Amino acid sequence: MTKEYGIGLDVGSTTTKGVIINQNGEVVASYLRQTGASVSAAVQEVIATLREKSGTDLERVPVVSTGYGRAMVDSAHRAVTEITCHSIGVHHLNPEINLLIDVGGQDSKVIRIGDNGKPIDFELNDKCSAGTGRFLEVMARVLGVSIENLGPLALESSKPCSISSTCTVFAESEVIGRIGSGEKPQDIAAGIHKAMASKISTLSRRVGVVEPVAITGGVAKNPAFRHYLSKQLEVELWVPKIPQLTGALGAAIMSLKKSF
Amino acid sequence: MSEKKEKAYRLLEANNLLNQIMFRYMLEGHSASEEGRLAWLTSGFPVEIPLAMSLGVVYPEQYGAVVGSQKMGPQVCAFAENIGYSPELCSYARSSIGSVLKPEESPLEGLPKPQALLAGNNICGTVMKWYDAVSQLTGAPVFLLDTPPIDDVQGDHHKEYVKAGLERLITFISDHFDVELQDDRLREVADNSTRAIALWTEILQSCKAKPSPLNCADRFLAMAPVVSQRGTEYILEYYETLLKEVRERVSNGLGAIMDEKVRLLWDNIPPWFNIFRFFNSLAKRGVVFPADTYTHAWSGSFDSPDILNAIVSLYSNVYLNKGIDAKIDKMCELIMDYDLDGFVLFSVRSCKRYSLGQMVSKEIVMERTGVPGVIIEGDMVDSRLFNEAQVQTRIDALLEMIV
Repeated sequence: MTKEYGIGLDVGSTTTKGVIINQNGEVVASYLRQTGASVSAAVQEVIATLREKSGTDLERVPVVSTGYGRAMVDSAHRAVTEITCHSIGVHHLNPEINLLIDVGGQDSKVIRIGDNGKPIDFELNDKCSAGTGRFLEVMARVLGVSIENLGPLALESSKPCSISSTCTVFAESEVIGRIGSGEKPQDIAAGIHKAMASKISTLSRRVGVVEPVAITGGVAKNPAFRHYLSKQLEVELWVPKIPQLTGALGAAIMSLKKSF
Repeated sequence: MSEKKEKAYRLLEANNLLNQIMFRYMLEGHSASEEGRLAWLTSGFPVEIPLAMSLGVVYPEQYGAVVGSQKMGPQVCAFAENIGYSPELCSYARSSIGSVLKPEESPLEGLPKPQALLAGNNICGTVMKWYDAVSQLTGAPVFLLDTPPIDDVQGDHHKEYVKAGLERLITFISDHFDVELQDDRLREVADNSTRAIALWTEILQSCKAKPSPLNCADRFLAMAPVVSQRGTEYILEYYETLLKEVRERVSNGLGAIMDEKVRLLWDNIPPWFNIFRFFNSLAKRGVVFPADTYTHAWSGSFDSPDILNAIVSLYSNVYLNKGIDAKIDKMCELIMDYDLDGFVLFSVRSCKRYSLGQMVSKEIVMERTGVPGVIIEGDMVDSRLFNEAQVQTRIDALLEMIV
């Protein structure tokens, strides 16, 4: 096995991410696509794209898989949980970070990072879609806006309305009720983000909010969510350039280590 | 890569004897029922008294474990849900009520028909209404032994109150079954209990050895007689045999699993429907559970001149009847004494009494012992509440923190 490069594959419930790094830990190429119904098809395409983008023969490059589909990646030499990979990945990008909040498509996690980048405590929310990207997707559909535009729309509000934070299904009926009673879409969108931020801030407090705090995962790209979460936790949030790739980056780093 | 199908764990020879006495227990339950002297008991009920008064006993909670192990939880619980019991209700209660409603479609055709229902609320509050519900369906009268929660030390007023409850129990059994309590018989039964518990405690403590001679599933099976047949003489031979086997394992350096690497603490009842798969798949990865809070709950002694006083003290002070600190102390003590690398708190959705406070316990135990812990969610009987992939991720992450 060549140790010149390492590959990390993060097979998430919504998207599959791949990162290839060199031995200095620099990202050579990365790629992200929807996971869809077939993990193996998604993984194959991600590897093919990484091969093409990096211009490297990846035959003997070590691969670590992570994410909910980690056990289904045949080409992986090792599977590591997304908890450890996110922790390692964010520590690599910013060694100062003590707490990581990762909000993905179907789950959210809060991780306390130790001195060596390994997690020392964590909490997951994966039994309930409130507090995940799915919650925002459902609400965007109800409001008739794209998921990309939901955050910017919310930031236009000066008077967020109140939305129950307990359940995606109930919150959906509540949003429909708000639309019916003539509330402004901006205010409803802001209420939605506030509700979700409250769910995540509770999860964070369970682990303990120790600054500096980073946020990763697809939802980290949403400016309104970051705004409300930062306000509720009363901390600044550090965001990597491509927040969805953190887990795959951590996996790639792990692939270059003998053991961890 | 060649795949060897070697077992990751060692089977206990004493299990043959265990199967025999569990079979005997089942037969005795049926004959007691036919003779009109069978009581259903909660797991923390002072069984010594009904046993000394010649009643046969069976345990609906243990029956719930059977329903779970046979993977019949969703089906049997649904019999109770179909007539209006909430899916949020304890799955032992649901499977018990469900099996009374439809014995012909339940494992072992349900428990034999009771002539009395003896409930103690030292282990749980749900039992009061659950036994009332069974009483409505079977016509058997309910006796409730009330043991109010203890904050710290059991005061004299508390002892007197529980003792008065025991005296009422004796009268209740006398009235319903026309029997008297003989002091020498009670002493004999209590001595058998003390002996069984002492053997059991010694067996548990042998797991301090490295490698641990027993894993979690071994203890959960082996505890059955000390839970349900405590006070009888015939279970003593089994525990003596098991202790001998465990000692042999320790002296020969043989562990419950083939290659012990990580030692963890388990908290709560196990997911019965998945017990072997769960613990054995971890055994393959070198993970053993030398201690757990649940099987350590059967401890203590009746070695006292006044047996009723000893019964009052032992059954009031089970840690489910004490504040959360008692359980936290127990967990920390087990982690230290058994030299454990981490802990798993199983949050059992339908057992609120045992699961309440796990989140704060996790934080305190981590702080005090310096080892990491994780909470996994599920249920003891209702497999619909157990998501294997989510549990796996949490356990994997814990192991990654340790190794």
